[in-house]
Amino acid sequence: MNEKIGRVYFGILGIITLIFGISDLIVTIGGNNFSWSILEISSDMFRGGWGGLIVISAGLFYLSSLKNFLEIHQLSRALMASMLIWILAGTDIFVKITESIPGGEEGPWFNSLEGFLGTYAPPYPPVIFLLPFSLIILFFLSKRKKA
Amino acid sequence: MRLTADERWNLIEEISNKVLTYGKFKHTLKDALGELTVKPLTGIPIAIVVLYGFWSVFSSFAGTLCTDGFFVKLFDGHFLPWIQSIFPGKGGWIYYIFVGDPVADNCFEAFGVLTSGLFVAIGVVLPAIFIFYLMMALLEDVGYMPRLAVLVDTIFHRIGLHGYAIIPSILALGCNVPAVTATRILETKKQRFIMMTLLAIFIPCGAQLGIMQEVIPESIGIVLLYLIFGYFLFGFILNKIVPGKSPEILIDVPPYQKPLWNNISRKLRMRLGGFLKIAVPFVLFGCAIVNILYLTGTIDWLAKTLTPLLTGWFGVPGETVGPLVAAFLRKDLAVAQLSVIEMSRYQMITSVVLVSIYFPCVATFVMLLKEGWKNLLGSLAVLITVIFFYGGLINVIWKLLGVQ
Repeated sequence: MNEKIGRVYFGILGIITLIFGISDLIVTIGGNNFSWSILEISSDMFRGGWGGLIVISAGLFYLSSLKNFLEIHQLSRALMASMLIWILAGTDIFVKITESIPGGEEGPWFNSLEGFLGTYAPPYPPVIFLLPFSLIILFFLSKRKKA
Repeated sequence: MRLTADERWNLIEEISNKVLTYGKFKHTLKDALGELTVKPLTGIPIAIVVLYGFWSVFSSFAGTLCTDGFFVKLFDGHFLPWIQSIFPGKGGWIYYIFVGDPVADNCFEAFGVLTSGLFVAIGVVLPAIFIFYLMMALLEDVGYMPRLAVLVDTIFHRIGLHGYAIIPSILALGCNVPAVTATRILETKKQRFIMMTLLAIFIPCGAQLGIMQEVIPESIGIVLLYLIFGYFLFGFILNKIVPGKSPEILIDVPPYQKPLWNNISRKLRMRLGGFLKIAVPFVLFGCAIVNILYLTGTIDWLAKTLTPLLTGWFGVPGETVGPLVAAFLRKDLAVAQLSVIEMSRYQMITSVVLVSIYFPCVATFVMLLKEGWKNLLGSLAVLITVIFFYGGLINVIWKLLGVQ
């Protein structure tokens, strides 16, 4: 049962991740940032270009892990896909943290509380949305460990 | 007692049967992850994400948080006006050497030992070196570096090296001095010569990267692309012309493990200590020497003499002579100097590449000398060829693209 749930879940997540990665690349090639509601895709070569390639790789890793999903080598592929997303999302969050602490060129040494919290307001890049869904791999790993 | 070969083998079997237990090898998750990181199809995306994370954390911590967030404000807003007002003898040559331009409103432009010198060493380079070595120590302790060595082994064989050449190459991105020492992990004289030459010419140190991130953030990718391309192009050529062997090696890949904070802090302390002892005095000394050369008119004379070569062959302004002289002392200092010279974006890219491939900084120079004067002379011969050939080639590329 776990295997079937895992295959369906990571199959869907893999396709969505792949779509996000391709969108990253398309937006980068287009040269203009794309913004829709609380989602923002950057056209910056580093974030959109290299980041897009990494998101595509994560999507492909998820999809390649579906066959015989609970086997250790397959599960490690899904884990690796999640790790790619964690590193990307982690660096995005880290960038926000480093921007939120100083008070700006003309301002005080440290940011005000509103300014600090305001840095974390939407829109967010796609990997931030993928982050919570990628954490589900930990559930499958813990299940396997218990078994 | 003498035994025949058969008797020896029988004895070995007898002993091994007594002491060994055979079981079925079961792959763990760590093993499976380890395999993924060394297979090219899966290992390359993982290497890309590791380098992506490395660069992203490096630039946001050193650039956004430390330098732009606090040190620029501290140095430009408080320290510079204070030192300009209290230092005696405004207009005199001692003032010029130690404080620099008396009307400068930022530390990049002042160019005194106590203004630009301290700002570059402490405000820009120290945070860059700190975060670089911290992440490097983390990757080493986790066990990723040997896997990266396996992954890039085939590519490095094309330039006469092997996978472990990635260690001095990445170390050089922090500082060339320990990287020159690290070339000893390579087996033959040929490999060590190629590695030392390539890292002295094509690998910018963390200090230089920090400054580049600060003054030319929009062009840093192109500069690095030129340097990476040059690294492999000239590596390939050197492999063909330098006599000697490039043997295969067996790499022992340890399992992934949790990093030990004791190890990391020890490595960090040792490497930062080395940086503070070697690099900081050179930055301050470099500022002083360049200011003295300006005061005595040497730089102006050199600029006039070398302008035809610089503008005609490399396509950069004659004023870049000053930074090129400073580059021998500290490359980070030279890039900082370039940032205040008026030139186009493409001239700036060429100038920064020239500063990078120009003579190694004096600390690296001393390390190369320690490894043998023949190596040093050979490296310098390659370096002079590279400067003229590659510098001229970049200028030709801009002209062909019509952007110069």
